[in-house]
Amino acid sequence: MSLLAMSTAESSLWSPEWLPRLPQRLVEMLLRNCHAPDWLVTLAGYAVAAGTVVAVFLTAFALLSLIERKTLARIQNRLGPNRAGWFGILQPVADGIKMLTKEDIVPAKAEWFLHLMAPILIVVPSMLALGVIPYGREWVPVSLDLGLLFFFAVGTLTEVAVFMAGWASGSKFPMLGAMRAISQMVSYELPLIISALGVIMVTGSLSLPAIVEHQGTYHLGFIPAWNVFTPWGLTATLVFFIASIAEANRCPFDLPEGESEIVAGHMTEYSGFKYALFFMGEYLGLFAISGLFITLFLGGWQAPLPGLTFVPSWLWFFAKLVAVIFTHLWIRGTFPRVRMDQLMRFAWLCMIPMALLTIPAAGIWVFTGGGLKGWLVIMPLLLIPWLILTTIHNRRLAPQTRTYTFADS
Amino acid sequence: MIPLIPLLILSPLILLAALGAVWNARPVHAALLLALALALTAGLYLTIGADFIGLVQFMVYVGAVAVLIVFSLLITRPGDEAEELARRPGAAVSGLACVLPVATVLLYAVSHTPDLSSGASESPTLPLQTLGKALFTDYAPAVLAVGVLLTAVMVGAVLFARDPDKKPPTPPGP
Amino acid sequence: MTPLALLLTVSSLLFTCGLFAVLTRRNAILILVGLELMLNAANINFIAFWRYGPPDPDLTGPLLVLFSIAIAAAEAAVGLAIILMVFRHTRSTDLNRLNSLHG
Repeated sequence: MSLLAMSTAESSLWSPEWLPRLPQRLVEMLLRNCHAPDWLVTLAGYAVAAGTVVAVFLTAFALLSLIERKTLARIQNRLGPNRAGWFGILQPVADGIKMLTKEDIVPAKAEWFLHLMAPILIVVPSMLALGVIPYGREWVPVSLDLGLLFFFAVGTLTEVAVFMAGWASGSKFPMLGAMRAISQMVSYELPLIISALGVIMVTGSLSLPAIVEHQGTYHLGFIPAWNVFTPWGLTATLVFFIASIAEANRCPFDLPEGESEIVAGHMTEYSGFKYALFFMGEYLGLFAISGLFITLFLGGWQAPLPGLTFVPSWLWFFAKLVAVIFTHLWIRGTFPRVRMDQLMRFAWLCMIPMALLTIPAAGIWVFTGGGLKGWLVIMPLLLIPWLILTTIHNRRLAPQTRTYTFADS
Repeated sequence: MIPLIPLLILSPLILLAALGAVWNARPVHAALLLALALALTAGLYLTIGADFIGLVQFMVYVGAVAVLIVFSLLITRPGDEAEELARRPGAAVSGLACVLPVATVLLYAVSHTPDLSSGASESPTLPLQTLGKALFTDYAPAVLAVGVLLTAVMVGAVLFARDPDKKPPTPPGP
Repeated sequence: MTPLALLLTVSSLLFTCGLFAVLTRRNAILILVGLELMLNAANINFIAFWRYGPPDPDLTGPLLVLFSIAIAAAEAAVGLAIILMVFRHTRSTDLNRLNSLHG
């Protein structure tokens, strides 16, 4: 069969829905026409799919580094980088050239092998995690039955890599920064995973495409059945979002890497390309966990209204991703940094109880069948502990009344 | 032979990493080699077909237990390797003397294991639904017991970590 | 060599490595490393018999491994908490120095 005959047989190949799959399908068609063995076709297809994901997200990383600086600048009433090209669009290129041409300094007391492996081991889990997220109706790079568990499992590899970075640098700031970073990541991993458990319970599957398809219906004709519009889902969304900010070491939880606190924490002794790899690992991790947030709670690639399904599904996914990332930047520009003990107290005494409460709430939701009855039954279960927790925290952490003594009294 | 290839590649790597973990004089290197051995074991489970167990092994052992060990090494900062290296030959000989009989007995038992596979052609899968149902029906008492155990461990660890002389931090005043 | 025999050999050797660490090491935390290796060896045994042994539709092998992993994690946590408490008092993790109950 000629190339042309095959392409007209799959006429849906050229619809916008299939656009992300196009490179993979083209390579597979080419190899099948050259009578390549089946395993080579599958392998090449997967390689092209992985390459597409990496290419898209590396470009997005470069753009995000610029957009973050411009957005933060605008929030802080200044302009941001606007020298390198129109609107500063070549700033990521300039940053890349700078990072690549800087001297790679390894301290004398550092262990060079672990020092080298740490940035690599930070980038690898983020890229692996990007491979299981469904970006569109037909577009999951790897469709695993245990996709969610795979995502969390590779996320825990980051903690070992952060430790390696801190220890192998051989100096005090990285070690302290690594201790803080690991304790923060371990503490916020719990609310992250527990709040995802409600979604797994209601969907009945760990597979991410199945979770997205479960949120595909529309109540009353126009409200989408996304998990954020359920009471347990709303709580889980808030808990997951805050925990994802902490997992990605973003402000207000960026104590491990705040320059005014601890120089650069576990990344202090890194320069040049290795620092760029840390940077990249952090942003790719941010994309991965925001992608998971959208998949679990915001309906993935589902359109918000039933009439809007003519827009390709991957476009909806990336629109939601832009909104979530913008919220991350907005929060970064607005809130001050949280202190270490405040951070840990918040994780263990507020986030984990609220996350644990979403599990029975999800069970009661399924039992009552959802809808208004479910909302009325579950809201007290979630609101009352939240009010109690916030009252306790506010009373404990509120500043005491100030008494002023003046010099002339 | 073909399905044996992943096993043949992973098994020596696991053993090498474990040997490094037990023999290396630098404690942090030993702990990281343990993490590597555990990660390779998780990979072994994944190639065999126990994918759920492999991912749980990775998440719990590499992501939690190895991090715990490495974190406590960071706190206690063990250093004296010179002394350790000096008394090594004696330790190695006495250790081997105790361990070789155990190894002999185990390998003898392994070599006399009959071929127990009943000739089933398809390899067993690990369906998640069956696992979940079994956990919460047949094994429910065990799950509850493990829950109580983990709660007790958490409470105990928190109690151990508290410094009895220090009073709790007061909120910042004016 | 059958896959079962290979996996059982690996688990036996892993067990002996762990036993060697527990017997020879002086640092308490590195003894815990050996303990984890021994538990892992037992887990490999369970999974090997589930996969290459008689058919197991009740999934007893993987279920036991799940419980074993959970209990191993709990025991590592408690062990490390105790070691850190002892370290706070004696400033050392050397087991040869913890002999104050000695006769």
